[in-house]
Amino acid sequence: MATALLILHGLVAMALLGAITHQAVAIWVPLPTRPESFIGRLRAVSSDSFTNAVVVLYVLSAILGGIVYLYFRVEIKPVLEQSEHWQTISLFDIKEHFIAIGMALLPAYWVSWQEILDREYSSSRVALTMMLTFIVWYGFLIGHIANNVRGFGL
Amino acid sequence: MNSSHAFRRFAFAFGPAFAITYVIAFEQDIAMFTVYPTRLLSFKTAQYMQDVTSANGLPAMHWYGWMATAALGALTIGVFAILIPDRWLPWIWQGWVWLIPLVAMLMCVYFTLPMLRN
Repeated sequence: MATALLILHGLVAMALLGAITHQAVAIWVPLPTRPESFIGRLRAVSSDSFTNAVVVLYVLSAILGGIVYLYFRVEIKPVLEQSEHWQTISLFDIKEHFIAIGMALLPAYWVSWQEILDREYSSSRVALTMMLTFIVWYGFLIGHIANNVRGFGL
Repeated sequence: MNSSHAFRRFAFAFGPAFAITYVIAFEQDIAMFTVYPTRLLSFKTAQYMQDVTSANGLPAMHWYGWMATAALGALTIGVFAILIPDRWLPWIWQGWVWLIPLVAMLMCVYFTLPMLRN
């Protein structure tokens, strides 16, 4: 059960990572003309079309992560503590804090993308998207490190 | 004031308010409830929690309780934000919506540093 949930959590996180990275690249370095290259097409996506997907995937991923966290606390964390993987544990704790704060930013993120023609919201839109992108990437990478801590030789 | 205008205000207040209350809840260990994962979802309401295990020596999780505390605080502040008079709005900088959570994230890292340095 825990393994299945973890795999599902990873898959949802992958989809979220793709969606928010597309959006972040598109607003950070937008492309005015029709692109030819792969990177060009990545930059040229309609960034606002990802907003609802990001919100839904973030919430879904956080819920799945919240359930998997129960198993992590009982079965994995004691092992990490015994083997004194304090840095991994603390980096994972920071991930949980970031995910919680990121989830609370979703309403403002969503509103700022609904008001896409309103210049008043443009700086908030960019800042919130970049913060959520950072949180999602951090969560994804630290999740993988914690999951494969022995493989990393840490 | 229409509903979307009210929701906009609520949304822009909720994020920063949650970030502030979350950091306080985390640092002061104010969890609305504690989860004992081996008993799955056994709650103790409104307790100032110490980092202790339960009577059976089972692990206690406060993270869900910190989030609930922060959500309640943010919800309250968000509702107050809806009631702020329009004439005050020009005085409120919109950048707080990302700056406060950013500082809160840095504070979470700071409070976790002692364990990170081990």
